[in-house]
Amino acid sequence: MLHRQNITRSLATLIVLLVILGGIYALWLRYQVEPVTRDGKVRADMVPIAADVGGLVTEVKVADNQAVARGDVLFVIDRPRYRLALEEAEANVASQEIALAQASREDRRNHAMTEVIAGEQIEQGRARVDELRAKMGQAIAARNLARFNLERTLVRAPVAGVVSNVSLQPGVYLTAGKPALALVYSKSMRVEGYFEETKLPAIRVGDPASIYLMGVADEIQGHVQSIAGGVEDRERMGADGQLANVNPSFTWVRLAQRIPVRISVDKIPPQVRMIPGQTATVVVHPRTDGRSIHRSLPW
Amino acid sequence: MIEEIHLFGIYMPAALAWGVVSIVLVYLLREPLQRFPIYRLLWHPSLLEVALFVLLWWGLSFLADTFLHSWLAA
Repeated sequence: MLHRQNITRSLATLIVLLVILGGIYALWLRYQVEPVTRDGKVRADMVPIAADVGGLVTEVKVADNQAVARGDVLFVIDRPRYRLALEEAEANVASQEIALAQASREDRRNHAMTEVIAGEQIEQGRARVDELRAKMGQAIAARNLARFNLERTLVRAPVAGVVSNVSLQPGVYLTAGKPALALVYSKSMRVEGYFEETKLPAIRVGDPASIYLMGVADEIQGHVQSIAGGVEDRERMGADGQLANVNPSFTWVRLAQRIPVRISVDKIPPQVRMIPGQTATVVVHPRTDGRSIHRSLPW
Repeated sequence: MIEEIHLFGIYMPAALAWGVVSIVLVYLLREPLQRFPIYRLLWHPSLLEVALFVLLWWGLSFLADTFLHSWLAA
């Protein structure tokens, strides 16, 4: 009797142990394997708007966080100065024109009177015309450049988007090439999910994905557009052409690195606003297309 | 899929919340369970509590994902 009870006890204990292991396995699948990450970020490409010509900012035509279309004027740089430069260049062209006309007339006269004028002088006159013609070309190029510069004093939006972090005020002196404000390219808005490398085998390009912004209940629909081509090897330092410099590590604990997965947004609920930099939870729904994933178990 | 839960501005993984809830539930269920003879069937009765905890944890996650989520989205 006692013997029988022992067997029942052992069996029951074994079953309970198996249930525990099964539950742990299910939890592990649910929280460690399924392609879900809370480390997603809304991202968009940013164009730093810089002036092509230097000078004082005379007018700022956009307010902070304003939506702009492609080609809209964002701010204006010292137009009077560049207009004066254009006038100077135009006057230069006119003066060259006059000099060229005079030299041409002389040249024509010289050619008409070859008996009384030395050949050398005729040659010199000819050369002067050619030289002045070349100078004329220079002056025209300088005028076109001045016109171009004047056009560039109107700094325009290269893409449609939202200007951000605008603190530019009239009177600020901008040197050419120095970024003055940031333009967020709205069309490039996407979500980058940083998935642990252990979750990556389940993700394929084209898989549908759900995105939940922090604190927003509505689901944003998207799909996996691409997976990063590479990430930095953090264990290794040193430039190319040098010997490898690998960090000495004490690897009891190794952490899965994160690989950026680019999710393109297909449908945004009307009341949801996406702002680059926002935190998002990304859930990828692997398609059932008969793929086989050979994933290692916890060991 | 509910992936995170926020309380007073702190965002934590949903797993943590369901885990805490299941610990509390198991603690509450302990006493009524001890009246059943099943405890006499096991070498280590506390194993049953561990099993219960794991199952509740997984079950709560599953239920929250399937029901709570669609209810929130509706």
